Amino acid sequence: MNGILEALAVSKRFGETLALDGVSLQVNAGEVFCLLGANGAGKTTLVNIFLNFIAPTSGEARVDGRDVTRHALAAKRDMAYIPEQVMLYGVLSGLENLRYFAALATDEDLPERRALDLLRQVGLDETAARRRISEYSKGMRQKVGIAIASAKNAKAFLLDEPTSGLDPKAANEFSQLLRTARDKGVAVLTTTHDLFHAKQTGSRIGIMRRGRLVENLLAADISHLDLESLYLKHMSNQDE
Amino acid sequence: MNSLCLPLIAKREFIEWRRDGRLLIAGGLSLIVMIAAVLVNVQRQVVAEGKRRAAEVLDYDSWLKQGNRHPHDAAHQGMYVFKPSPPLALFDPGITPFSGASIWLQAHQQSELRFRPAQDATGLQRFGTLSVSWVLQVLGPLIVIIFGFNVFSGEREQGTLRQTLSLGVSTRTLLWGKALALHGVMALILLPVLIATTVAVLYASVSAAALSDTALRLLLLSVGYAAYVSMMVFAVLAVSARMPTARASLLVLLGLWFASVMLAPRIAADVAEYLDPSPSRVEFNSKMASALDAAYKRAWAKELGSEKRWGGDVPLDRWGRALQVDDHAGYTIMDQHFKRLWDTYEKQNRTQEWAGLLAPMLSLRAYSMILAGTSFYDHRLFSHAAERQRRVMQDIVSDDLVKNADAHSHTHGEQAHFTYQADARLWASVPRFSYQTPLAKEALGRSVVGFAVLLTGLALAIGAALWASAHRPE
Ligand SMILES: Nc1ncnc2c1ncn2[C@@H]1O[C@H](COP(=O)(O)OP(=O)(O)OP(=O)(O)O)[C@@H](O)[C@H]1O
Ligand SMILES: [Mg+2]
Repeated sequence: MNGILEALAVSKRFGETLALDGVSLQVNAGEVFCLLGANGAGKTTLVNIFLNFIAPTSGEARVDGRDVTRHALAAKRDMAYIPEQVMLYGVLSGLENLRYFAALATDEDLPERRALDLLRQVGLDETAARRRISEYSKGMRQKVGIAIASAKNAKAFLLDEPTSGLDPKAANEFSQLLRTARDKGVAVLTTTHDLFHAKQTGSRIGIMRRGRLVENLLAADISHLDLESLYLKHMSNQDE
Repeated sequence: MNSLCLPLIAKREFIEWRRDGRLLIAGGLSLIVMIAAVLVNVQRQVVAEGKRRAAEVLDYDSWLKQGNRHPHDAAHQGMYVFKPSPPLALFDPGITPFSGASIWLQAHQQSELRFRPAQDATGLQRFGTLSVSWVLQVLGPLIVIIFGFNVFSGEREQGTLRQTLSLGVSTRTLLWGKALALHGVMALILLPVLIATTVAVLYASVSAAALSDTALRLLLLSVGYAAYVSMMVFAVLAVSARMPTARASLLVLLGLWFASVMLAPRIAADVAEYLDPSPSRVEFNSKMASALDAAYKRAWAKELGSEKRWGGDVPLDRWGRALQVDDHAGYTIMDQHFKRLWDTYEKQNRTQEWAGLLAPMLSLRAYSMILAGTSFYDHRLFSHAAERQRRVMQDIVSDDLVKNADAHSHTHGEQAHFTYQADARLWASVPRFSYQTPLAKEALGRSVVGFAVLLTGLALAIGAALWASAHRPE
């Protein structure tokens, strides 16, 4: 089976720092790949390489079989990006933001009805949808991010600590939305520091350490406790 | 790129401007200032033209009705000629506020120049005139900055730029969309100004012929100003695309604005003066005076056999002839000196026009004055015509003296030269001064350099914006 997201021996050097050191991974349609790792392990760098925000020093990142540096725009059309803080226009409402970004992404107008439906699906009612983003909580912004991603019909979601800073209820709702996307066949690559979240939503779990992918496990094959001790083991070796 | 994206991006910018109050406050204020400038200048133009016509009639009338008197006295009193103000002077008065609109034609002297201050004036010094052209040249870029400083940098700071780019929108599409928005908002502000100017100019134009000529000038002016504004839009986009924060780009842009609009005219004037130094008034006058002196002496010796000008060697019954000789000896010298001086100023103007490659306002200023018919060149043409009129007057008067006063002295004794008086017939033989402002076609030829510089600037700005938006790592 061909992966929607594929990293092939990707390395990235920032001056002296080797942020990524030959990382290879694959995320298939309908899979959620959770990337764990200490601060500075290289998670964000990998996400940024998929989005072609930065170019790899060597190796190749592919989306649906296409090299992201050579087919940057086409590759981005297949992906949806949700960072730790989804950045939206403060003076526009959630609805306006969604319609704007969706139209930019798809070249098609997103009718208001449909947009409101999408927002309702992520848990924002019409009153909320019509309020300006500057009045939104962080959780509400993340939900708009998901709505944009669904409106885009992306084959892959790339999420960088999407639930950090969300309260447990909001984080849980968010995970639920990810599972819905996964069930629709989306390939999801998400970074997180939340083991519980990873075990709960992930079909695969990867652990990164100093630019390398040191573990790549099926979530079903490992218990929460085992995952925790494995994770801590890699953390404690961090300074070797 | 897709046709839907550009209007979409542009529309979002408009919503932002409307909601953060910029559209109403900055846009509204700019519009008010510009419309006020149009109105003030229409009023000024109408009043000035009315006064000019009245004065012209009155002055020639008093020349005709000066009664019987000695022709040379009449020549000394002379007459005034008035520079007709072209309809577009209400848009761009050019150097008129500094050159004056009237010239005194009198015996022996070519009138002096009074235009230096305009060349030296920096933007602020010219504020006193509040011309529409000034507002557009100086405040125009500022308006573009107010609307455009954060279009990229602000989004970068907010993180929405990254969000947008992650959708697979190219930076180039984003650039064109934002350029569309900025052009749109500038059109929104400037179109009413263009319409107001057009109406005002129609109102100020006298004949149908003048109308079509003015229409052509107005069209070319619009094209020039549009190129300037467009250049500003792309320059602002380029800076905004490079800067990490909205604040940084605002500071850089205001700095550039100050340098190119406030400092550059001053510096360009100094550089132009350095390359082609012009004499001071005292220098010029004393040089011309000594050249005239030598020429007079030569002419007197040759034609009148006298060593001394206006001395006793030449009998009074030849003073008419002497005046003629004296005048004609002066003409060439004056022509030479004024030509050299004016050529120097033309060269300086050229230098400033080319300096527009660094500070585009300078090229636009030159282009605008030329097409409005208020440039230094127009002033020079008018001064030429005035000097021709002066010589016509001089020649008629001196010829009359030769024919009548000299003869009168033959028969009535030398002193009779001064008692001779001419009458209304002689005054009427001096034609009324009429000056035809040059046609737009001619101005067109002279506006080419300014226009070429503006277009070059526009091309460079577009290139810079494309480069800057493509080459910033996110
Ligand atoms: N633009 C950059 N310039 C220089 N070094 C960078 C840059 N971006 C990341 N790095 C370095 O690369 C390494 C990996 O950083 P990265 O942000 O990918 O880590 P991370 O796993 O996302 O950490 P965190 O959990 O804190 O988000 C770090 O050492 C970081 O300092
Ligand atoms: Mg990170």
